[in-house]
Amino acid sequence: MSEVESHIGSVGIDREYSRRNFLKTAGWATAAISAAGITGFGVAERYANAADQPYKSYEGLGDVAILSFAYLLEQLEGIFYQTGADAGIFGGNDLTQIAAIRDHEIAHAEALAAVIQGEGAEVPATPEFTYPDGVFADPVAFLKVAATFEPVGVGAYQGAAPALQNKDYLASALSIHNAEGMHVVAINILSGVVPPNNTAFGEALPIQKVKAAVAPFGITG
Amino acid sequence: MDKQTINVPSVEGFAQPQTRRDFFKALAAAGAGVALGSTALTRKANAQSGNGDVDIANFALTLEYLEAEFYNKALDAGVLSGDALAVVQATADHENQHVDAITSLLEGAGAKPVAKPEFTFPADAFSSQESILGLAATFEPVGVGAYLGAGPMIQSQDILAAAGSIAVIEGEHVVAFNNLIGVVPPANMAFPEALTQDEVLAAVAPFMGMGGMMDTGGPALRSGSTFRAV
Repeated sequence: MSEVESHIGSVGIDREYSRRNFLKTAGWATAAISAAGITGFGVAERYANAADQPYKSYEGLGDVAILSFAYLLEQLEGIFYQTGADAGIFGGNDLTQIAAIRDHEIAHAEALAAVIQGEGAEVPATPEFTYPDGVFADPVAFLKVAATFEPVGVGAYQGAAPALQNKDYLASALSIHNAEGMHVVAINILSGVVPPNNTAFGEALPIQKVKAAVAPFGITG
Repeated sequence: MDKQTINVPSVEGFAQPQTRRDFFKALAAAGAGVALGSTALTRKANAQSGNGDVDIANFALTLEYLEAEFYNKALDAGVLSGDALAVVQATADHENQHVDAITSLLEGAGAKPVAKPEFTFPADAFSSQESILGLAATFEPVGVGAYLGAGPMIQSQDILAAAGSIAVIEGEHVVAFNNLIGVVPPANMAFPEALTQDEVLAAVAPFMGMGGMMDTGGPALRSGSTFRAV
């Protein structure tokens, strides 16, 4: 194997095109998330967040509330990938990856629901999510939204983890956090970003930023 | 077997590290059979199980030293090109930054960072792109497993936050290398697995100047605390 080439990202997507357009402005979702102030993930912001200790924004909520919020994020992602996988805009190995991510998000949601129920609490009702127009008709648009969801997922788990009281829940949250980071790179690969692993430190987000990022999709309160 | 070398399995042997068990099976195939016996590592293992945030951070630092040196040497070898070169460059940069960050963290806490051990790599580790990518694909899940295993034992919220920011990057590396070695789909785990300290030590021992490869298949490696997804 002297030639190394990606086995995904070659079906249905013009890699050069998507690379040039990756995270370019435009896009309803990207605009919404930019408005929330969490794209860019610049060094300055990372340090600012570190100084602010984002986990403090999750303290006092309690494990069940944190996991319930995480559950809604997973539902938002799971339904997004499910719809994308069913839309016929991906094929071959690309579809295999999108379907795997769908399965992961659904597994995360189910695991969280089980814990919430195990705590004697009610699993929150899944709202009717709003996704950007045309996002399920165009793989590039879809991947652009995916590329905004995944860092929010990473940031939410990373931000919340130190605030969790139960160490078993913490262990699971760290595992899910890692899976979301893996998704970031998978989406980058599908989008033609080289290198797809382009961040040295994951970014924790305070709950206010996570809420602002997902509010346009229908997670409110 | 030469005491200072490890038989590296073919890339095919590493090709699908989809689960921890497969990964360790592949690693075991590299040269299982020599008993674990390094006093240095045993000492580290004991220190680690006695734990404390400083011990955990120093253990993580040791892993980051190993990864950083591996990728630095991989770049120096001049055998990488294209996407593989881009990924290894980025990964080397990340691992070097992780070394610096953990060193600063320890110094900031008034603790002494461990010195970089002398690492041993297989003779042909850097002879080809194929060999480098195969080894990288074995390192990265160990890094993930180590952080996931240690995370819940960390007492300080701030150190846990810092560990989280690094742990997720190791997971990102897993996918980048999976993709380069042809694993489809490259992101293939809903719940990346935590490794016990023993498992991590077993995986990295051959690179830490030990006389040979440990038995990675034995039940002794299953001891220690295990963390599971919900």
